[in-house]
Amino acid sequence: MSAPPERSRRGRALGTASGALLAGAIIGLTAAALYLRTRNAGDQLQAEAPARAMALALARSGAQRSAHDTADPDLLQRRVLALAGRDTVTLATVVQEPRSTKYRFLRKRRYLAHSDVQRLRQSLDRRHPGDKQLYDLANRVRQHGPVVELRAPQDGPVTVVAAEPVRVDGKQVATAIVVTAPRPLHVPVNAWPIGAGVLALGLLGLMAGRLRQRYIVVMASLAGLTALCWYQLSTLAAFYHRVLPIPSYALRSALQGGSPAPLTIPAWPLVIALPLALGLATLGHVGLGQRMVQALRRHRAAYLYVLPAAVGMLLLVFLPFGYGLGLGFFNHAHGTYTFVGLSNFIEILSGGGRPLSHPLNFYFTLGVTVLWTGTNVLLHVAIGLALALVLKDPLLRFKGIYRVLLILPWAVPNYITALIWKGMFHHQYGAVNHVLELCGIENISWFSSFSTAFAANLVTNTWLGFPFMMVVCLGALQSIPRDVYEAADVDGASRWQSFLHITLPLLRPALFPAIILGTIWTFNMFNIIYLVSAGAPGGSTDILITEAYRWAFERADRYGLAAAYALIILVILLLYTLLTNRLTRATEDTYS
Amino acid sequence: MSGKGKGKRLLVHLVLITFTGLTLLPVALVVRKAITPGQEFELTLNPIPSSVTLDHFRTVVGTSLPDGTWLFGRQLLNSLLAALGTTVLGVFLACTAAYAFSRFRFPGRRFGLLTFLVVQMFPATLLMIPLYVILSRLGLLSSILGLMLVYSTTAIPFCVWMLKGYFDTIPRELEEAALIDGASRLRIFYTIILPLARPAIAVTALFCFMTAWNEYILAATFLGRETAYTLPVLIKSYVGEYGSTQWGSFAAGAIIVSIPVVALFYALQKNLVAGLTAGGVKG
Repeated sequence: MSAPPERSRRGRALGTASGALLAGAIIGLTAAALYLRTRNAGDQLQAEAPARAMALALARSGAQRSAHDTADPDLLQRRVLALAGRDTVTLATVVQEPRSTKYRFLRKRRYLAHSDVQRLRQSLDRRHPGDKQLYDLANRVRQHGPVVELRAPQDGPVTVVAAEPVRVDGKQVATAIVVTAPRPLHVPVNAWPIGAGVLALGLLGLMAGRLRQRYIVVMASLAGLTALCWYQLSTLAAFYHRVLPIPSYALRSALQGGSPAPLTIPAWPLVIALPLALGLATLGHVGLGQRMVQALRRHRAAYLYVLPAAVGMLLLVFLPFGYGLGLGFFNHAHGTYTFVGLSNFIEILSGGGRPLSHPLNFYFTLGVTVLWTGTNVLLHVAIGLALALVLKDPLLRFKGIYRVLLILPWAVPNYITALIWKGMFHHQYGAVNHVLELCGIENISWFSSFSTAFAANLVTNTWLGFPFMMVVCLGALQSIPRDVYEAADVDGASRWQSFLHITLPLLRPALFPAIILGTIWTFNMFNIIYLVSAGAPGGSTDILITEAYRWAFERADRYGLAAAYALIILVILLLYTLLTNRLTRATEDTYS
Repeated sequence: MSGKGKGKRLLVHLVLITFTGLTLLPVALVVRKAITPGQEFELTLNPIPSSVTLDHFRTVVGTSLPDGTWLFGRQLLNSLLAALGTTVLGVFLACTAAYAFSRFRFPGRRFGLLTFLVVQMFPATLLMIPLYVILSRLGLLSSILGLMLVYSTTAIPFCVWMLKGYFDTIPRELEEAALIDGASRLRIFYTIILPLARPAIAVTALFCFMTAWNEYILAATFLGRETAYTLPVLIKSYVGEYGSTQWGSFAAGAIIVSIPVVALFYALQKNLVAGLTAGGVKG
C-alpha cells in the first residue's frame, strides 16, 4: 500500500490522463461514425425493385430460360409493354428477403408491374379477396412455372418463376415471382445511436452504483464534450476521411510507384474499440480506475478465469444491447434514421393515440400479456401440483410410467407443439372441433374472435408448460419427510389442513423459483403466440414481444419503435425480478 | 388397504389414464398423420392408422432444389453445425467463468452472476434487431456462423449458471489438499475440477445443443436462403397460410426433428430441473 499523498497524486494523474482519453475517444467515435455514414450513403436499393418486376414480366413472355442484365426500369418497362400486347395485363410480383420457403411473399413487399398499377395495388389489399386469387395463382406458379434465371447486377443470382397466363377478373394475367437473395438490412451506423447508447449505458451504470457528486460532474462534462463534437462533426469527418489516409497513400505510392488505389479504412475496429475506451476512461476519471487496478491485481486469477466469458458476453450481448438502446431514440423510414429523442417511448407509453381497446395500444397489449402470463402460470401450477399430489402416493402402481408419459409435451420442441395445435384448432378438420362436434357443439372458428383465439393459445401453452411444474412439485414433495404428516395425523389435522399448513409452506422454496422462471418464460413465449394465433384477430392476441417483432419486421420496418418496445419489456422484467427477489428473500427468512 | 381404498385407487388410475391419454393425443395424431397417406388431417381421433406409408418421410428427406442440390441434407447439416458450434462456444467460454464464480470471491462477482442471470432471462428475440444489423454488417447474415454467435448469447449465461451449480457441489477440500501439495490453480482446474465435472459438462453441453437445435424464430428471421435454413424453418414452411398446409410432410418432418431431442431430453431431464431452479434460487 502506498502512502496517501502519493496515491492521491497518482489518482489525479490517472484522472487527467483518462479525461484526455475520454475526450479523444468521443471525438474519434463521432468521426468514425460519420465516416461510416458517408460511406454508406451511396447505397440504394429501393429503386431496383420495380425494375426487377418488369424484368420478370419480360421473362414470362415466352422465354424459358433467359438472362437479363439490366436493372433500368424505363428500359424494362418499354420491353415489357412491347411484349405484353394490348389486351394482356402483365403482372409481376417481386419478393425481397424471403424468410420462409413459401407464401411469405404475399405478406412481405410486393412490387407490381401492370398496365394499371395503381388500381391493382389498391385491389391487392391484404384482406381483399383479390389477395387470395393472387395467392392461388402464385402457388400454381411456384409449382408448374418455367424457371428463368435473372441476373441483377451486384446481387448475385435471383430465382425467377414465371407462370403461364391465367385469367383473373376476366383479364389475362401473367404472374412472375422473383425471389432475390436477401439483402443486408440497410442500416447506416449513425453516431447518434452509439453516442446515445453509450451515454444511456453509462447513466444506467452510474445509477446502479451510489450516485456521487463526482459522477454528476463527469456526466455533465461528457455531455458537453459530445455536444462540442457534434458541432465540429463535419470538420472531424473531413479530417478522418481525407487527412488520415494521406501518409499511407504517400508511402505506398513511394514504394510501389504510380498511383495505388485509394485506401479505404475499415471502421469496425473503431466502432468496437472506442466505446470500450470510452467506458474505461469514464471509470478512470471517477477514480474507480485505481481501485479497479488494485482489485485486478489482487484477484488476477479470478478475473482471468472470467475473461473468456466476459469478452464473449461483451461482444455478443452488450454491444448489440447498447446499439439497441441507441436505436430506441431513432425513427427508421426507408433506410434512413432520424434522431427523434424520446418520441418512440412517448408513442408507446401514450398508446400511440389509439383508444385503450385498440389492439395496437400498448396498454391493451400489456394487459393481454399480463392476462396471458397470469392464467398460464396459474394453470401450470394448478395442474402440475394436482398431478404431483396424485403421483406422490408411494403405493400407486405404474407411477413411473405416468410420469414419463406426462412429461412428453415438455420434450417436444415448442415450435412443433405450436404448429401441431394450430392444426388441431383448424375450424374444418381440426381435432378440437371434431371433439366438440362429438359433444354436439357446433364448429368454432377459433381464430376469429379474441376470446377463442386466446383460449387456443392458452390451451397450447398449458399443454406445453404443466410438465415442468409437475416435475418440480414432485421433486419437492418427495423431499418432505413422511413423519411430519404422521405427526399432523396424530394431532388430528384434516388432510386439507395438513396440505395447507405443511405441504404448501414446505413446497414454497422449490416452487417460488420455478414460478419466477415460468413467468418469465411465458411472458416471452414468442413461438406460441406467433405460430398458433399469429395475433389474430387483428393483432389482439399479440403479446409485447410479438408486437415488438411485428413493428420491426412486419409493419413498415419501424426498428426504432421495436427497439423501444424491447427496452420497455426489459424494464418490466427487471422490475419483476427485483420484486420477486425481495419476496423470495422474505420467505426464505421466514422459513429458514 | 381396505376395499374402499382399492376403489379410490382405481378411480385415481382412471383419472390419470384419461389425462395421460388427452396429453398424448396431439402427439399420437401427428404420428398417425406421418404414416398415413394424404396431406390433410383426417377427422378422427383414432390414433391407429387405416393404412401405412412412408411416403411423407421420403418426401421430407428427399427435399431438393430444381438444380439437384439435396436441400434436406444441407439444412440438416446447418442445424447440426449451428447446434454443435453453439455448444462448443458456450461450454468452452463458460467453463472457466463458472469455476471462478464458484470458487473465488472477488469484487464484481455478485454483479457478474446477476448479469448472467438477467441476460439468460432476457430473450434473444429482443436483441434481434441490433443483432440483425451487426450480422449484416459483418456479412454473417444467412450464415451458420452468425446463427451460432446469436445462439451463444443465451447459451453462455445458461452454461455459466448450470456449471457453477455443479462446481459448488464439488468439495473444496480436494482443492485445498492439492494447494497444500503445491499445485497451481490452473493445474487444479485441469487435473481435478474438470475431470470431476465431466458428467456435468456433458449434460450442460447436451442442453445447449437442444436449445440451439429447437430454435425457430431467429433462424427464420436471419436466414434468407433456402440452402442456409435450419430444419425448424423447413418444417414451418410446410404449414402455410390460407389453409393449404401439407400436414403429412409436416408431421413426418416434426418426427424426424423431434426424435433426437426427445430422446436426449428423457436421458437428461432430471439434471435440467435441478440446474434451472438452482439458477433461480440464488439470483
